[in-house]
Amino acid sequence: MRKRLSAVLISALALSACGSGGDDSSDGAAAASCAPSSGPVTITYTTWIPGIENVVKAWNDKNPTIQVKVQTGPNGNGGTYQNFFNQLKAGNPPDLGHIEYDALPSFRVQDGLLDVASCDIVAQAKDQFIPWTWNQVSFGDEKSAWGIPQDSGPMALFYRADLFEKNGIAIPKTWDEYAAAAEKVKAAGGYITNFSQSDINQFAGFTWQAGGRWFANDGQQWTVNLTDDKTKKVADYWQSLISKKLVSTVPPWTTEWDNAYNSSSAWTWVSAVWGANSIMSGAPRTAGKWRVAPMPQWSAGENVAGNWGGSATAIFKNSKHPYEAAKFALWLNTSEEALALLNKEAQLYPATTAGTTYSYLANPVGFYGDQKIYEVFAEAATKVTPDFTWGPTMTSTYANASDGFKAAVSGKGTLSDALAATQKSTVETLKSQAIPVKE
Amino acid sequence: MTMTPTMTTVEEPATKAPRRGGAIRYGRAVPFFVVPFGLLFILFYLLPIGYAIVQSLYTVERTGTFGPAREVFGGLEQYRRVFADGPFWASIGRVLLFGVVQVPVMLGLALLLALLLDSGLVKGRRFFRLAFFVPYAVPGVIAAIMWGFLYSPNLSPLKPVTSAVDLLSADFVLWAMANVVTWVYVGYNMLIIYSSLLAIPAEVYEAARLDGAGPARIAWSIKIPLVLPAIVLTTVFSIIGTLQLLAEPQVFRSFSSAVSSTYTPNLTVYSTSSVPNFNLAAAFSVVLALTTFVLSFAFLKFTSRSAR
Repeated sequence: MRKRLSAVLISALALSACGSGGDDSSDGAAAASCAPSSGPVTITYTTWIPGIENVVKAWNDKNPTIQVKVQTGPNGNGGTYQNFFNQLKAGNPPDLGHIEYDALPSFRVQDGLLDVASCDIVAQAKDQFIPWTWNQVSFGDEKSAWGIPQDSGPMALFYRADLFEKNGIAIPKTWDEYAAAAEKVKAAGGYITNFSQSDINQFAGFTWQAGGRWFANDGQQWTVNLTDDKTKKVADYWQSLISKKLVSTVPPWTTEWDNAYNSSSAWTWVSAVWGANSIMSGAPRTAGKWRVAPMPQWSAGENVAGNWGGSATAIFKNSKHPYEAAKFALWLNTSEEALALLNKEAQLYPATTAGTTYSYLANPVGFYGDQKIYEVFAEAATKVTPDFTWGPTMTSTYANASDGFKAAVSGKGTLSDALAATQKSTVETLKSQAIPVKE
Repeated sequence: MTMTPTMTTVEEPATKAPRRGGAIRYGRAVPFFVVPFGLLFILFYLLPIGYAIVQSLYTVERTGTFGPAREVFGGLEQYRRVFADGPFWASIGRVLLFGVVQVPVMLGLALLLALLLDSGLVKGRRFFRLAFFVPYAVPGVIAAIMWGFLYSPNLSPLKPVTSAVDLLSADFVLWAMANVVTWVYVGYNMLIIYSSLLAIPAEVYEAARLDGAGPARIAWSIKIPLVLPAIVLTTVFSIIGTLQLLAEPQVFRSFSSAVSSTYTPNLTVYSTSSVPNFNLAAAFSVVLALTTFVLSFAFLKFTSRSAR
């Protein structure tokens, strides 16, 4: 209680300090002024990329007049987004913030972002980015952009080559084969994977691959569709694996989860490129035993990938130095120097077309038995369908879906039930925010 | 206050200068002591509450799918949403169930420990007094994480138990958290009751012993009735604490499938404010505060009536 009150108070103070509060944040002033500042400036940047300090240092050493002060926090839905929303309400957000593609609409609907296309240098850089990543920041509108794409999360299959070989199980190429392999893995005493019960993004990635589309925005109103046939197909598939106890369901991003991989209890993980980092840090005992293969397909012979995560660097509205912020963000997300560092520190996979050809991505990775794993992801990146739209209140959609998924893995209801309930609550949330939505 | 001028006039002839100075200094001392408290009270208590109430009376309006929000006065619209919110009221029911079981257990233990310390049966009293109190010095979040590991099915040092009975499942997790809360707060409550025991005059015990009362009889008929006000106080604190449960369920949420984003009222407030829907979150908070107030007040009323 006391904590909450003081947070509210801080907002109250900050609001009174900046005068009329929310009203002065309307268009005009900020958007028109993407002009260089005179004299040296310091810009603030909040992110949760591991090792970002080293990347920022490389910039600061070369740019004495544009110094970047980096603040790190928990991952977006783990707390940083909440901080951003509070800071926006209080009128003191950082200049730059790390926002995943799925959360960008939520920040835009709260009127928290600068349209970076108003900065010439950003508009000119548009063609450097992989088209679908640009689509994720422009929401399909040619004239605007609500962040600068940073990385993408093309998905593939991480698997334990040693265990599959020892037990004579073929690497699954389709989801049917994957389910069949799950039975054999269970017989050998393991689980084929761990189903992410509370990080819904993994499921969203599966849906993306299968062709499900959860949100649509025609400019007049939103359509929410968490229960289309494609989504239902994915939900039923995983529900069947859960019901047959062929997958473990320890909560993701916990020590239990790390332990499941480190102790060789879970044999595969269908995850994004940055997942390479998660396995390396969470399961050090399995070094050298992992390999990466393309994601299983719904029909044999197809080649479609899902995407899990991927982020943009956004400039918050009312930033005093939008030009310098944009300049840094462009360096961070397009220069070979920065991209190489980001890949080295955090296994980030670039969102630029040129980025995918840089030599460091051709390097073999020791943890993965010297496989050139980024080649698999480079291939996957080109197989991601470009038109997945995120809703404007994803925090709440995720929280509700996660409540339902947790119930489903505990044996109460199914994943489809959870999605149907989330459909309803998401529409409710949109209405409570006065966001027009088709019922 | 009204006494001061009278005293000054009466004693003025005898001790002239210093007394008058004293009176003036005393007059200034009142604001000196009250203002810092009053200021902090207003800044960190009344103002935030007022701000929350104001926020709860607004709703947002916008045009188009990405139209900027305008806050408009909405009267009790947010409260209508609060009262129509099933999960919120279910969570209030859940924490009430939690409180009905956990508070008596915790305070019973606290009372028992305080009586044991006070009885003279225990050697090393100072050591135990400190030992019981130490968990309170562990921050709530850390305590929850620590117990989370102890409960964990695969990582716990008590694995034979935790892998057989999943303490983090829907059936047990509420009581697993009750155990954490009890562990943290039992020593704190014990200390309040114990200090109240120390304040009982020795003559009372002497008289009881002369009348032939043994230690158990003294504890039951003298000590417990005399520390009842302290028990009432700790109960009120505990009722407030229970309704505001946040740290434990928030931590447990990450490793238990049974803890949802609306598991306790304060978690609902937290999830609502991260939508972000500050207006609705404010309305939830105001309703929660009022519920807490009503329950605490009802408990005080009830106990003062039964004491009479």
